[in-house]
Amino acid sequence: MDGVHDLGGMHGFGSIPVEADDEPIFHQPWEGRVWAISATTMRRTTIDRFRWHIEQMPPAAYLISSYYARWLWAVERLAAEQGLLDGPASVPVAPRPPSSTPRWNGRFRPGQPVRVANRVTAGHCRVPRYLRRQVGRVERVACAWPNPGESAARGTYGEPELVYTVVFAAEDLFGPGADHVLSADLSERDLEAP
Amino acid sequence: MSELTPGRRAELLEQRLVEHGHVHPDDLDAAVAAAESPAGDQPSTALGARVVARAWAEPDFRDRLVAQPVETLSEYVPQPVPIAVLVDTPTLHHVIVCTLCSCYPSALLGNPPAWYKSFEYRSLVVREPRAVLAEFGTELDPGVEIRVHDSTAEQRYLVLPLRPGGTDGWSQEQLARLVTRNSMIGTGRPLPPAGAAASG
Repeated sequence: MDGVHDLGGMHGFGSIPVEADDEPIFHQPWEGRVWAISATTMRRTTIDRFRWHIEQMPPAAYLISSYYARWLWAVERLAAEQGLLDGPASVPVAPRPPSSTPRWNGRFRPGQPVRVANRVTAGHCRVPRYLRRQVGRVERVACAWPNPGESAARGTYGEPELVYTVVFAAEDLFGPGADHVLSADLSERDLEAP
Repeated sequence: MSELTPGRRAELLEQRLVEHGHVHPDDLDAAVAAAESPAGDQPSTALGARVVARAWAEPDFRDRLVAQPVETLSEYVPQPVPIAVLVDTPTLHHVIVCTLCSCYPSALLGNPPAWYKSFEYRSLVVREPRAVLAEFGTELDPGVEIRVHDSTAEQRYLVLPLRPGGTDGWSQEQLARLVTRNSMIGTGRPLPPAGAAASG
Protein backbone atom coordinates (compact mmCIF):
# COMPACT_ATOMS: atom_id res chain seq x y z
CA MET A 1 0.00 0.00 0.00
CA ASP A 2 1.05 3.57 -0.54
CA GLY A 3 1.31 4.30 3.15
CA VAL A 4 3.00 6.72 5.48
CA HIS A 5 5.27 3.92 6.69
CA ASP A 6 7.07 3.97 3.33
CA LEU A 7 9.65 6.54 4.37
CA GLY A 8 12.67 5.77 2.19
CA GLY A 9 14.08 8.85 0.46
CA MET A 10 11.84 11.41 2.18
CA HIS A 11 13.26 14.73 3.30
CA GLY A 12 12.45 16.75 6.36
CA PHE A 13 12.61 14.37 9.32
CA GLY A 14 15.76 15.97 10.68
CA SER A 15 18.97 14.71 12.18
CA ILE A 16 19.38 11.15 13.47
CA PRO A 17 18.61 10.73 17.21
CA VAL A 18 21.90 8.95 17.90
CA GLU A 19 22.24 7.50 21.39
CA ALA A 20 25.14 5.85 23.16
CA ASP A 21 25.80 2.16 22.47
CA ASP A 22 24.63 1.26 25.96
CA GLU A 23 21.26 2.99 25.66
CA PRO A 24 18.41 1.04 27.27
CA ILE A 25 16.49 -1.31 24.96
CA PHE A 26 13.21 -0.11 26.42
CA HIS A 27 12.83 3.54 27.34
CA GLN A 28 9.57 3.03 29.30
CA PRO A 29 8.53 -0.05 31.29
CA TRP A 30 5.37 -0.52 29.19
CA GLU A 31 7.51 -0.84 26.04
CA GLY A 32 9.08 -4.01 27.40
CA ARG A 33 5.64 -5.40 28.30
CA VAL A 34 4.33 -4.76 24.77
CA TRP A 35 7.44 -6.36 23.27
CA ALA A 36 7.08 -9.44 25.47
CA ILE A 37 3.32 -9.73 24.93
CA SER A 38 3.76 -9.50 21.17
CA ALA A 39 5.35 -12.97 21.10
CA THR A 40 2.01 -14.49 22.11
CA THR A 41 0.19 -12.93 19.17
CA MET A 42 3.05 -13.47 16.70
CA ARG A 43 2.85 -17.24 17.13
CA ARG A 44 -0.59 -17.26 15.57
CA THR A 45 0.00 -15.04 12.58
CA THR A 46 2.65 -13.91 10.10
CA ILE A 47 5.17 -11.10 10.48
CA ASP A 48 3.51 -9.60 7.42
CA ARG A 49 0.09 -9.37 9.07
CA PHE A 50 1.70 -7.67 12.07
CA ARG A 51 3.27 -5.11 9.71
CA TRP A 52 0.02 -4.73 7.76
CA HIS A 53 -1.83 -3.83 10.95
CA ILE A 54 0.71 -1.11 11.74
CA GLU A 55 0.34 0.20 8.20
CA GLN A 56 -3.41 0.63 8.84
CA MET A 57 -2.75 3.35 11.41
CA PRO A 58 -4.03 6.73 10.24
CA PRO A 59 -0.97 8.58 8.89
CA ALA A 60 -1.12 11.37 11.47
CA ALA A 61 -1.30 8.81 14.31
CA TYR A 62 1.59 6.82 12.84
CA LEU A 63 3.81 9.88 12.75
CA ILE A 64 3.17 10.95 16.35
CA SER A 65 3.32 7.44 17.86
CA SER A 66 6.52 6.05 19.31
CA TYR A 67 7.91 2.77 17.99
CA TYR A 68 6.38 0.52 20.64
CA ALA A 69 3.12 2.50 20.55
CA ARG A 70 2.85 1.37 16.93
CA TRP A 71 3.55 -2.20 18.04
CA LEU A 72 0.85 -1.86 20.68
CA TRP A 73 -1.67 -0.82 18.02
CA ALA A 74 -0.92 -4.01 16.05
CA VAL A 75 -0.76 -6.34 19.08
CA GLU A 76 -4.16 -5.10 20.31
CA ARG A 77 -5.67 -5.89 16.92
CA LEU A 78 -3.93 -9.27 16.57
CA ALA A 79 -5.06 -10.27 20.07
CA ALA A 80 -8.64 -9.31 19.21
CA GLU A 81 -8.73 -11.14 15.87
CA GLN A 82 -7.16 -14.23 17.44
CA GLY A 83 -9.86 -14.30 20.13
CA LEU A 84 -7.29 -13.91 22.92
CA LEU A 85 -9.19 -11.10 24.67
CA ASP A 86 -12.31 -13.20 25.24
CA GLY A 87 -11.22 -16.80 25.85
CA PRO A 88 -9.22 -19.54 24.16
CA ALA A 89 -7.41 -18.72 20.92
CA SER A 90 -9.66 -18.94 17.86
CA VAL A 91 -6.80 -19.53 15.40
CA PRO A 92 -4.01 -22.14 15.48
CA VAL A 93 -0.28 -21.53 15.70
CA ALA A 94 1.05 -20.57 12.22
CA PRO A 95 4.06 -22.71 11.21
CA ARG A 96 7.03 -20.67 10.00
CA PRO A 97 8.83 -21.28 6.70
CA PRO A 98 12.44 -22.55 6.85
CA SER A 99 15.33 -20.08 6.59
CA SER A 100 17.42 -22.35 4.37
CA THR A 101 18.90 -21.27 1.05
CA PRO A 102 16.76 -22.03 -2.03
CA ARG A 103 18.16 -24.65 -4.40
CA TRP A 104 16.07 -23.93 -7.48
CA ASN A 105 16.54 -21.50 -10.37
CA GLY A 106 14.21 -18.62 -11.05
CA ARG A 107 13.38 -16.39 -14.00
CA PHE A 108 16.35 -14.06 -13.48
CA ARG A 109 20.11 -14.53 -13.38
CA PRO A 110 22.83 -12.55 -11.62
CA GLY A 111 23.91 -9.59 -13.76
CA GLN A 112 20.59 -9.35 -15.57
CA PRO A 113 18.83 -5.95 -15.71
CA VAL A 114 15.32 -5.93 -14.23
CA ARG A 115 12.61 -3.34 -13.74
CA VAL A 116 10.62 -3.11 -10.53
CA ALA A 117 6.98 -3.62 -11.35
CA ASN A 118 4.59 -0.81 -10.53
CA ARG A 119 1.91 -3.07 -9.14
CA VAL A 120 0.79 -1.74 -5.81
CA THR A 121 -2.56 -2.49 -4.22
CA ALA A 122 -4.09 -1.29 -0.97
CA GLY A 123 -2.81 -4.52 0.60
CA HIS A 124 0.55 -5.20 2.21
CA CYS A 125 3.52 -4.73 -0.09
CA ARG A 126 7.29 -4.76 0.42
CA VAL A 127 8.31 -2.71 -2.61
CA PRO A 128 9.28 0.74 -1.37
CA ARG A 129 7.89 3.67 -3.32
CA TYR A 130 11.33 4.99 -4.23
CA LEU A 131 12.14 1.79 -6.17
CA ARG A 132 8.99 1.41 -8.24
CA ARG A 133 9.51 1.45 -12.04
CA GLN A 134 13.27 1.69 -11.51
CA VAL A 135 15.75 -0.46 -13.41
CA GLY A 136 18.42 -2.28 -11.45
CA ARG A 137 20.65 -5.30 -11.82
CA VAL A 138 20.20 -8.69 -10.21
CA GLU A 139 23.01 -9.33 -7.74
CA ARG A 140 22.01 -12.80 -6.54
CA VAL A 141 19.18 -14.97 -5.28
CA ALA A 142 18.78 -13.86 -1.69
CA CYS A 143 16.34 -16.32 -0.19
CA ALA A 144 12.96 -17.91 -0.64
CA TRP A 145 10.01 -16.73 1.41
CA PRO A 146 6.21 -16.75 1.09
CA ASN A 147 4.60 -13.76 -0.60
CA PRO A 148 4.21 -10.90 1.91
CA GLY A 149 0.88 -9.66 0.55
CA GLU A 150 -0.71 -13.10 0.79
CA SER A 151 0.85 -13.82 4.19
CA ALA A 152 -0.57 -10.53 5.49
CA ALA A 153 -4.04 -11.18 4.11
CA ARG A 154 -4.27 -14.80 5.33
CA GLY A 155 -2.28 -14.70 8.52
CA THR A 156 -0.56 -17.93 7.46
CA TYR A 157 2.48 -18.62 5.30
CA GLY A 158 2.14 -20.15 1.83
CA GLU A 159 4.75 -21.65 -0.45
CA PRO A 160 8.15 -19.90 -0.59
CA GLU A 161 8.96 -17.79 -3.65
CA LEU A 162 12.35 -16.57 -4.80
CA VAL A 163 13.59 -13.23 -3.53
CA TYR A 164 16.41 -11.50 -5.40
CA THR A 165 18.92 -8.95 -4.21
CA VAL A 166 18.79 -6.15 -6.80
CA VAL A 167 21.20 -3.23 -6.92
CA PHE A 168 20.43 0.26 -8.20
CA ALA A 169 22.57 3.31 -8.94
CA ALA A 170 21.48 5.92 -6.40
CA GLU A 171 21.88 8.56 -9.10
CA ASP A 172 18.98 6.93 -10.99
CA LEU A 173 16.82 7.05 -7.87
CA PHE A 174 17.74 10.36 -6.32
CA GLY A 175 19.43 12.38 -9.01
CA PRO A 176 22.89 13.74 -9.73
CA GLY A 177 25.23 13.86 -6.77
CA ALA A 178 24.11 10.57 -5.27
CA ASP A 179 27.19 8.40 -5.77
CA HIS A 180 26.28 5.31 -3.76
CA VAL A 181 24.62 2.01 -4.59
CA LEU A 182 21.26 0.96 -3.25
CA SER A 183 20.51 -2.71 -2.68
CA ALA A 184 17.07 -4.17 -1.94
CA ASP A 185 15.50 -7.63 -1.74
CA LEU A 186 12.55 -8.06 -4.09
CA SER A 187 10.19 -10.92 -4.85
CA GLU A 188 10.31 -12.49 -8.28
CA ARG A 189 6.72 -11.43 -8.94
CA ASP A 190 7.66 -7.77 -8.34
CA LEU A 191 10.31 -7.85 -11.05
CA GLU A 192 10.00 -7.79 -14.85
CA ALA A 193 12.23 -7.51 -17.92
CA PRO A 194 13.16 -3.81 -18.43
CA MET B 1 -9.06 2.73 23.92
CA SER B 2 -7.01 5.10 21.81
CA GLU B 3 -7.61 8.00 24.22
CA LEU B 4 -5.71 6.17 26.95
CA THR B 5 -1.94 6.44 27.19
CA PRO B 6 0.04 3.59 25.61
CA GLY B 7 1.17 2.58 29.09
CA ARG B 8 -2.41 2.22 30.32
CA ARG B 9 -3.47 0.38 27.17
CA ALA B 10 -0.55 -2.05 27.57
CA GLU B 11 -1.65 -2.66 31.16
CA LEU B 12 -5.25 -3.38 30.13
CA LEU B 13 -4.10 -5.66 27.32
CA GLU B 14 -1.87 -7.61 29.68
CA GLN B 15 -4.70 -7.97 32.23
CA ARG B 16 -7.05 -9.42 29.62
CA LEU B 17 -4.44 -11.84 28.29
CA VAL B 18 -3.55 -12.97 31.82
CA GLU B 19 -7.23 -13.40 32.67
CA HIS B 20 -7.66 -15.82 29.76
CA GLY B 21 -4.39 -17.64 30.37
CA HIS B 22 -2.51 -16.47 27.26
CA VAL B 23 0.38 -14.86 29.12
CA HIS B 24 1.79 -15.09 32.63
CA PRO B 25 3.28 -11.93 34.21
CA ASP B 26 6.32 -13.88 35.46
CA ASP B 27 7.09 -15.03 31.92
CA LEU B 28 6.84 -11.45 30.65
CA ASP B 29 9.16 -10.28 33.44
CA ALA B 30 11.66 -12.97 32.50
CA ALA B 31 11.49 -12.15 28.78
CA VAL B 32 12.07 -8.43 29.42
CA ALA B 33 14.94 -9.14 31.82
CA ALA B 34 16.58 -11.48 29.29
CA ALA B 35 16.27 -8.87 26.52
CA GLU B 36 17.73 -6.15 28.74
CA SER B 37 20.61 -8.29 30.04
CA PRO B 38 21.20 -11.04 27.48
CA ALA B 39 23.17 -14.11 28.55
CA GLY B 40 26.42 -14.84 26.72
CA ASP B 41 24.86 -17.31 24.32
CA GLN B 42 21.83 -15.12 23.54
CA PRO B 43 21.52 -12.56 20.72
CA SER B 44 23.43 -9.41 21.65
CA THR B 45 26.10 -7.01 20.47
CA ALA B 46 28.61 -9.08 22.44
CA LEU B 47 27.65 -12.27 20.59
CA GLY B 48 27.93 -10.49 17.23
CA ALA B 49 31.32 -9.14 18.26
CA ARG B 50 32.55 -12.66 19.06
CA VAL B 51 31.51 -13.81 15.58
CA VAL B 52 33.22 -10.87 13.87
CA ALA B 53 36.40 -11.32 15.89
CA ARG B 54 36.53 -15.01 14.99
CA ALA B 55 35.99 -14.15 11.31
CA TRP B 56 38.95 -11.75 11.51
CA ALA B 57 41.14 -14.33 13.21
CA GLU B 58 40.19 -17.52 11.38
CA PRO B 59 40.06 -17.32 7.55
CA ASP B 60 38.34 -20.71 7.28
CA PHE B 61 35.59 -19.57 9.62
CA ARG B 62 35.24 -16.31 7.70
CA ASP B 63 34.82 -18.19 4.40
CA ARG B 64 32.22 -20.48 5.92
CA LEU B 65 30.39 -17.52 7.50
CA VAL B 66 30.15 -15.77 4.14
CA ALA B 67 29.28 -18.87 2.10
CA GLN B 68 26.83 -20.45 4.58
CA PRO B 69 25.74 -17.68 6.94
CA VAL B 70 22.52 -19.26 8.21
CA GLU B 71 24.15 -22.58 9.03
CA THR B 72 27.29 -21.01 10.50
CA LEU B 73 25.50 -18.49 12.70
CA SER B 74 23.04 -21.17 13.80
CA GLU B 75 25.98 -22.87 15.51
CA TYR B 76 25.84 -19.91 17.91
CA VAL B 77 22.12 -19.17 18.07
CA PRO B 78 19.14 -20.21 15.90
CA GLN B 79 18.53 -18.07 12.81
CA PRO B 80 14.81 -18.27 12.03
CA VAL B 81 15.15 -15.75 9.18
CA PRO B 82 17.68 -15.93 6.31
CA ILE B 83 20.76 -13.83 7.02
CA ALA B 84 23.67 -12.80 4.79
CA VAL B 85 27.09 -11.38 5.65
CA LEU B 86 28.27 -8.20 3.92
CA VAL B 87 32.05 -8.01 3.76
CA ASP B 88 33.58 -4.54 3.89
CA THR B 89 36.76 -3.93 1.90
CA PRO B 90 39.08 -0.91 1.72
CA THR B 91 36.97 0.37 -1.20
CA LEU B 92 33.47 -0.84 -0.23
CA HIS B 93 31.47 0.07 2.87
CA HIS B 94 28.12 -1.55 3.65
CA VAL B 95 25.32 -0.05 5.73
CA ILE B 96 21.93 -1.57 6.53
CA VAL B 97 18.48 -0.06 7.05
CA CYS B 98 14.82 -0.99 6.89
CA THR B 99 12.89 1.90 5.33
CA LEU B 100 9.49 0.17 5.65
CA CYS B 101 9.64 -0.94 9.29
CA SER B 102 12.57 -2.03 11.47
CA CYS B 103 14.06 -5.27 10.08
CA TYR B 104 17.35 -5.94 11.85
CA PRO B 105 19.61 -8.98 12.45
CA SER B 106 17.92 -9.44 15.84
CA ALA B 107 18.54 -13.18 15.93
CA LEU B 108 22.24 -12.38 16.26
CA LEU B 109 22.46 -8.83 17.66
CA GLY B 110 19.31 -8.59 19.80
CA ASN B 111 16.90 -5.66 19.71
CA PRO B 112 17.84 -2.78 17.42
CA PRO B 113 18.80 0.61 18.84
CA ALA B 114 16.10 3.30 18.83
CA TRP B 115 17.84 5.40 16.18
CA TYR B 116 17.78 2.45 13.76
CA LYS B 117 13.97 2.44 14.01
CA SER B 118 13.63 6.22 13.80
CA PHE B 119 11.89 8.05 10.96
CA GLU B 120 15.03 10.17 10.61
CA TYR B 121 17.33 7.22 9.85
CA ARG B 122 14.80 5.24 7.80
CA SER B 123 14.02 8.18 5.51
CA LEU B 124 17.49 9.60 4.92
CA VAL B 125 20.16 6.89 4.85
CA VAL B 126 19.05 5.50 1.48
CA ARG B 127 19.29 8.97 0.00
CA GLU B 128 22.26 10.63 1.70
CA PRO B 129 24.31 7.90 3.37
CA ARG B 130 27.49 9.97 3.58
CA ALA B 131 25.68 12.72 5.45
CA VAL B 132 24.02 10.20 7.78
CA LEU B 133 27.30 8.40 8.50
CA ALA B 134 28.87 11.77 9.26
CA GLU B 135 26.21 12.26 11.96
CA PHE B 136 27.64 9.14 13.60
CA GLY B 137 31.13 10.58 13.29
CA THR B 138 31.97 8.17 10.48
CA GLU B 139 33.74 9.92 7.62
CA LEU B 140 34.52 7.85 4.54
CA ASP B 141 37.08 8.61 1.88
CA PRO B 142 35.34 9.83 -1.31
CA GLY B 143 36.84 6.84 -3.13
CA VAL B 144 35.01 4.35 -0.93
CA GLU B 145 31.78 3.08 -2.47
CA ILE B 146 28.85 3.01 -0.08
CA ARG B 147 26.31 0.28 -0.54
CA VAL B 148 23.06 0.79 1.37
CA HIS B 149 21.02 -2.37 1.94
CA ASP B 150 17.31 -1.76 2.41
CA SER B 151 15.95 -4.83 4.27
CA THR B 152 12.77 -5.09 2.25
CA ALA B 153 12.34 -8.87 2.55
CA GLU B 154 12.90 -11.66 5.08
CA GLN B 155 16.61 -11.41 4.49
CA ARG B 156 18.73 -10.01 7.29
CA TYR B 157 22.26 -8.66 7.10
CA LEU B 158 25.36 -8.58 9.24
CA VAL B 159 28.16 -6.22 8.23
CA LEU B 160 31.63 -7.73 8.60
CA PRO B 161 33.72 -4.61 9.13
CA LEU B 162 37.40 -4.22 8.28
CA ARG B 163 39.78 -5.47 10.92
CA PRO B 164 41.60 -2.49 12.41
CA GLY B 165 45.32 -2.27 11.63
CA GLY B 166 47.81 -2.74 14.43
CA THR B 167 46.03 -5.79 15.83
CA ASP B 168 48.35 -8.55 14.59
CA GLY B 169 48.60 -11.36 17.08
CA TRP B 170 45.61 -10.20 19.12
CA SER B 171 43.43 -12.85 20.67
CA GLN B 172 39.79 -13.15 19.64
CA GLU B 173 38.79 -11.85 23.06
CA GLN B 174 40.89 -8.73 22.50
CA LEU B 175 39.58 -8.27 18.96
CA ALA B 176 35.95 -8.64 20.08
CA ARG B 177 36.35 -5.62 22.35
CA LEU B 178 36.95 -3.47 19.26
CA VAL B 179 33.70 -4.51 17.58
CA THR B 180 30.90 -2.02 18.19
CA ARG B 181 27.24 -2.55 17.44
CA ASN B 182 27.30 0.27 14.89
CA SER B 183 30.25 -1.32 13.07
CA MET B 184 28.05 -4.38 12.45
CA ILE B 185 25.25 -2.13 11.10
CA GLY B 186 27.61 0.01 9.04
CA THR B 187 27.06 3.40 10.67
CA GLY B 188 30.32 3.08 12.57
CA ARG B 189 33.73 1.45 12.44
CA PRO B 190 35.41 -0.85 14.94
CA LEU B 191 37.29 0.96 17.70
CA PRO B 192 40.93 1.79 17.01
CA PRO B 193 43.36 -0.54 18.83
CA ALA B 194 44.90 2.28 20.83
CA GLY B 195 41.90 2.76 23.09
CA ALA B 196 41.26 -0.91 23.73
CA ALA B 197 44.80 -2.33 23.91
CA ALA B 198 45.31 -1.28 27.50
CA SER B 199 42.22 -3.13 28.67
CA GLY B 200 43.04 -6.09 26.38
